[in-house]
Amino acid sequence: MINPDLLALYTTLKMAALTTVILLLIGTPLAWFLAKMQSRFKVIIEAIVALPLVLPPTVLGFYLLIAFSPQYLPGELWQQATGQQLAFSFSAIVIGSVLYSMPFVVQPLQKAFEQLGEPLLEAGAMLGAGPMDRFFNIVLPITKASFITAASLGFAHTVGEFGVILMIGGNIPGETRVLSIALFDHVESFDYAKAHILAISLLAGSMVLLSAIYLLNRPSKKIVQRGRNDS
Amino acid sequence: MTLNLNFKINLNPFNLSIKHELSLQGITGIFGHSGSGKSTLLRAIAGLERNINGSIILDDIFLIDSNDNTFVKAEQRHIGLVFQDTRLFPHLNVLDNLKFAAKRCQNRRLDFNEVINLTELGSLLHKHVDELSGGQKQRVSLARAILTEPKLLLLDEPLSALDRQAKINLLRLMLKVQRELQLPMLYVSHSLDELQQVCDKLLVLSKGKVIGYGGIHHMIHQLNYSQNETSADDFIHQQTSLSLPIKTLNNGHGLAVLSLSSSLSECVDIYLPALGEKSVQISEKTNEQTLRCFILASDISISLSEPLNSSIVNHLSAEISSVNIKGNNVLITAKCNEQEFFVNISIFSQQKLALRVGQSVYLQFKAGAVRTYLY
Repeated sequence: MINPDLLALYTTLKMAALTTVILLLIGTPLAWFLAKMQSRFKVIIEAIVALPLVLPPTVLGFYLLIAFSPQYLPGELWQQATGQQLAFSFSAIVIGSVLYSMPFVVQPLQKAFEQLGEPLLEAGAMLGAGPMDRFFNIVLPITKASFITAASLGFAHTVGEFGVILMIGGNIPGETRVLSIALFDHVESFDYAKAHILAISLLAGSMVLLSAIYLLNRPSKKIVQRGRNDS
Repeated sequence: MTLNLNFKINLNPFNLSIKHELSLQGITGIFGHSGSGKSTLLRAIAGLERNINGSIILDDIFLIDSNDNTFVKAEQRHIGLVFQDTRLFPHLNVLDNLKFAAKRCQNRRLDFNEVINLTELGSLLHKHVDELSGGQKQRVSLARAILTEPKLLLLDEPLSALDRQAKINLLRLMLKVQRELQLPMLYVSHSLDELQQVCDKLLVLSKGKVIGYGGIHHMIHQLNYSQNETSADDFIHQQTSLSLPIKTLNNGHGLAVLSLSSSLSECVDIYLPALGEKSVQISEKTNEQTLRCFILASDISISLSEPLNSSIVNHLSAEISSVNIKGNNVLITAKCNEQEFFVNISIFSQQKLALRVGQSVYLQFKAGAVRTYLY
């Protein structure tokens, strides 16, 4: 039989990876839209995206639990489409994570897009590049560092999630039992040795990931410095 | 190539409102003070301004027509634009910036390497754009715009951030590109000196309206009269703007000689300081037949008798055709061989010499007062 903690690690990584991919796919257009938006509704959308930063995860989890239950429309639609209950499933914790980690992906991207502004995009248009061409050949390479930051923060934050998952996922091995919940289990059953292993691994993993982000963000500063020395 | 403009754009605090047809050959200058709407006009033609009421038609193709919601996107207009701030892509080196343009050009007729030679970028291809000087950046920017093989090239104050030598080099390059590629250009600048050197025609904008369009020299002369009507920050140096056939660029006595010819009378020589060795070489290489130059109205003086015993080399016999008095300044227009010259003197001198229309006078100015920008 497989070690339950390794299974939790696998579930965690799968959840975080899937969440990150979904977040990049949803978060990029959302961040672009927010960066270009001039309407006064912009602040409201920004506030909604930022909400998980301040909201207790249990609050978010509580409302998601209700929404995911078959008695309510989202849960009912899901059940009709897939034949399975949404609450307490792997899909539920991925959806929850996407919402919960949204600001960590959208905010750095939005900031990068705002900083990039229109000038280089206009230059691209004048050289015959259409909108998609401009995005993939101008925006993406220039804001690459922000994409890496956004993806890493989204991933790391998802790995460390506890409250939302506990509310909507429960503790089903191989399905919704992730590392942070496994850690909590060990502590509850006074198995501090196993708890230490998980806690140290999570701490070290986060530390390595964050160091990598800061390391990756350094080269751009070098270019700025070189520009300064020239002038 | 004709460009038909008939549109309005709401700009704070005024509207840019233009109804004009331009025939685009060679380089057409667009002159105006800051805030006159000249850059906005260029952006409208380029397709970078959205809120336009009216139409822009380039050679029978509607680029914009707000009546039936026609809007050709910037990337589909086949118009090139050289920005004031170059806007080179910071993630690409010089070569890749140029390739970015060449790759997106649909029917390539120009040879990539020829454009690099033309713009003298061969030695810079593998440099990062951060390592380039302002003048080099603008050369890359110009080459990049040319490589899209546009029907029309727009230049938005491309020289404003450059030092004098870099300005001269880029102006020469613009002329060379224009001649070799026969590419019509619209060149926006707030500097009459620069426009005077390279433009064939000039469109003058003021507060969002066209106040004049015509041959470059004629338009600059028109501006002389409008001088004092505008406010102090709209200052223009009143001047005589000339394109004259070259007799010699160095007569061996430190002077270059141009001829002010006319069908009616014999030609008159105009002297200016001899051009340097390098300028003479450039001029010979491009087979330059005429020289653009200008004389500030404040640099010409008027004498009633011919000043024969003077170190001032230029003295032309002329007839006064108009006397414009504005406050203490008098702008006198005098004709010599059908060429108008503009002279700025004080009301004191005008009264002392009792100058009036129809009077014969001598205009005198030093060789050094005949200025040319390109050499």
